Parts: sequence; structure tokens; C-alpha cells
Amino acid sequence: MGYVAVKGGTEAIHNASELAEFYRVKGDTTPIDIKQIRAQMRLAIDKVMGEGGIYAPEYAAIALKQAEGDVYEAAFILRAFRTTLQRNYYSQVINTREMFVKRKISASFREIPGGQILGPTRDYTQRTLDTAKATETVIDIKTFLDGFDAKIDPEKLEGISTFGKVIDLLQQEGLLAPVDPTEDRSLVDITREAIKFPAPRSARLQMMARAETGGLMALGYSSQRGFGAVHPTVGELRYGTVPVRVKDAGGRNRYIGKIEVTENEMITGSKPAKKGTPPYFTIGYGLCFGHNETKVICMSTLDTAMRRPEMGAPANDQEFVLYHTEGVEAMGFTNHLKLPHYVTFQSSLSNTRAAVERNNKTNKEVEQQMIQMQSV
Amino acid sequence: MEEQDFILCECELEPLRDFVASLEGNFEVVIAKAPSTCMTMIQAEDSVEFQDFYLGEALTTECELVVNGQRGYGICLGDEPVRGYCIAFIDALTQLPGADLKDIEAFLTQQYQLIKQAEQLEYNQIMRTRVDFKLMEQE
Repeated sequence: MGYVAVKGGTEAIHNASELAEFYRVKGDTTPIDIKQIRAQMRLAIDKVMGEGGIYAPEYAAIALKQAEGDVYEAAFILRAFRTTLQRNYYSQVINTREMFVKRKISASFREIPGGQILGPTRDYTQRTLDTAKATETVIDIKTFLDGFDAKIDPEKLEGISTFGKVIDLLQQEGLLAPVDPTEDRSLVDITREAIKFPAPRSARLQMMARAETGGLMALGYSSQRGFGAVHPTVGELRYGTVPVRVKDAGGRNRYIGKIEVTENEMITGSKPAKKGTPPYFTIGYGLCFGHNETKVICMSTLDTAMRRPEMGAPANDQEFVLYHTEGVEAMGFTNHLKLPHYVTFQSSLSNTRAAVERNNKTNKEVEQQMIQMQSV
Repeated sequence: MEEQDFILCECELEPLRDFVASLEGNFEVVIAKAPSTCMTMIQAEDSVEFQDFYLGEALTTECELVVNGQRGYGICLGDEPVRGYCIAFIDALTQLPGADLKDIEAFLTQQYQLIKQAEQLEYNQIMRTRVDFKLMEQE
């Protein structure tokens, strides 16, 4: 059954869009400044960029404002915006080993190169509602910032350094599984060519990097709970900034800025591939724009899970994982169900009516036969 | 080159704009490509097996100027037309044969110090969160 389009309704559609705008501003409150959204809704901005697949904090803030805080909708707006601009550059491969680290922790080792750095986290504090935020003033913020700055003695500053990685230690000790020579290592771009299954790992990582956090979490969690049996431990989770470099039109290497990323290496024990080989550790990898730890933890869990298709759980199935965590497509399909399906539904309505009528008729005939038999 | 770009991308916009405005009048500037936005695809790799993949795109501004016949390119992340223009201008200027770069070097040095000072303060705030968890059986 094909779809039959509807037409008309232009004025009502225009009015509905205007009404949505009215509901956004009807409280007659001060417009939220984009700088405020960027500064105070940091994690929402990062989600929008990560799921929109484009690093543009200012535009993500605008999209979030336009969408009244709906992260899915804001990511959708950014994805659409992305298609309006030419791609003129490909960066050199970013190097997370030269990250300006803002957070770096390991759940596997207590002592790691440079130590555990908690960074900006709420992991160890209780989730109690801070009602003081309701009456927060500019003076409160300034007082906090002055007090915060005063905790550092400018005369005794530690020099900036980068840090070695936990997985490098495992690698040096020969504890990591060797690279599978049969795995497809080609580099594909899923924004330029439709994904085919089985997909190369580059396509899987790219799709997960812009996947919806909740979708990744649902499937990652299913695997962590035992459906597909990936029992992971966070080897190292990092959040910070990395430099981006491109070649200019004259062929020279140029620094063009830095982006914030979150990275996770997930360690999983593995069964020996064949008898006589040791049970090496395997590493699942997660990397995304901005600060989004849930996303990279689940991405790296699923990276490992999808390399074990024989386990047979949803999280091990590439097609299941990648199609169902693609937030913009999933949201688009789900929401298209609200659009007019009158002809489709009318057709199923007539079929159902006819079937019910046939069924009623048959029941009546059987009933009459029973009555006749009883009277005999 | 890397250090110059780093400074021009990371410094505050206002002093950069004022600095370039103070120099512009002494040169013939032709805009070969006005500042405009485009995309840069960010390439990444997994840190263990070094599998390349595309992380996503980043909004980028690019600009191309010809200053006294010398071409300069300005590229930076974000929608930053003024910064893109300034980077292209200084890029051209620093390649001009025989150009006096004293003022530029002084500006870059000053801005570099400011950037590094801010970075170091942030770094030291971050390092206050360094932790040494003890196991339960440890004293």
C-alpha cells in the first residue's frame, strides 16, 4: 500500500507555527541570551552538537532556544543546517594524547599516569534539588567566582602537562588482543554513502559518535546487564580539548581552533579466539563532541558488543544498534506517525469492517444451525 | 606558523580586531574571498588500534586576502568573520618579503602570555580535583 499525500491547510499550518512561537514567548519574560545558554546549559549544548553531528556551540545554543529546549528537535535543526554548507576541509586526525585534560579517571586502576583527576563532575555528590538556584543573582555568581579564583595561589602555579594513557600500559605489557587482520578497516563516510551491513568499524564508530545518547544507553545497558554478555570496566575516561588542524589552500598545515571531546576506552575480558591463545583484553572505543560521558561509555560498550555478532543479543547486532540509535531518523519516523495517514487508514478500516462483518455473518449462521439442531 | 595560528585563534577578539585595524591603512588589501562559513570534517582514530573514522563536522570560517600582492589565508572554527579576516591579514603580512614584523611579534607575544596565563589558571583549578582514592583496608 502506497502513501497518498494530502494538500491544503497552508493557512492553518502557518497559524500553528505562529502559535508555537506564541507559546515560546507568551510569558513576556526577558529573552534568554545565547551567551547565557552557552555558558549555563553546557551539557545540553554538547548533546545537541553530538547528536546533530556538527561542532558549533553558538549555533547549538540558538537551535536549543528555537526548539524550546527539545534536544532532539535542536539536533534535527543542526543536522538540517549542516547540509546547507560546503565541506571545504578535512582535518588531520585529532590526537587525544595531546588533550588539555579537564577530567581523567580510571575504574580499572587506582594509580594512573598523572593521577585520577575528577574534573567537573557530580558523580560523587547527592542529587538533591538546590532550591537556592531559583533566587540566584549576578552578585551570587560573582561572589562564587571570586572565591573560586582565590583558592589558587598565582605564585605557585603548576605547569601544564599532557598525560600518558592507561591503555598504553596494557599495550606495553602485551595484554591487549592483537588487531584482527580479517576486519574491514576501510574508512567510509556515512554522510556521503549509505551504510551497508556488515558495516566497517569506521562507519560504526561514526554513526555512534552522532547517535542519540538515550538510544545508546538503552542498548549499552542491555549488554552490560547480560544480554550479549559484555562485562566492561572503564579503562580510562577523559574529557578535555584537542587541537584541530587542516591544510589551507596553499597546502600549509594550519591550526584552526580546539574542540571539546569526551573519550572512553572500555576494557573487556575475552575468550581465547582458539585453543592455546591467552584470554587477551579487548578495548571498546568511544569518542564524541563535547562533554557526554554516558554516551562514550555506551558507545565503547557497543563497539565491543558489535564485534561479537555470534552472541546473538540486540546489542551485538550492528543493524539493530546503528539504525535504532540514530536519533534524528528515529524521531523523524516516530513523529511522522502523527501526520495524515487518512487513505492508508481508510483502507485498513474497510478491510477490518469487511472481516468483522464476515465473522458476524458466520457466527449468526452457526448460531442458527445450532438452534435448528436443538429444535430437532 | 602553528604558534601564530594558535594565538590568533585563541586570543580575545577585540584586541585582535583593533590591532589589525591599526595596521590595515598602511597596506593595499584586496579581498579575494570574503569571510564565509563552511564545514570541516573532523577525522579521529581509536586510540588502541588506530582505526580512522569521521567524528563529525565543525563549523568553520575561511577568508582569503591579498595584502600588497601577498596572499593570506584565514581559517578558524566557528562563525567568526572578523577573526577569519584578521588571521588572513596577518598570515599575508608575515609572508610579505621585507615586512617589518616587530609590531606583530610584540602583539603575538603579549597575546600568547595572556592565553597561557588563562590556561594555566584553569589547569591549576582542574588539578585541585586530583584524587588518590584509598582502598577500604588501607589506613
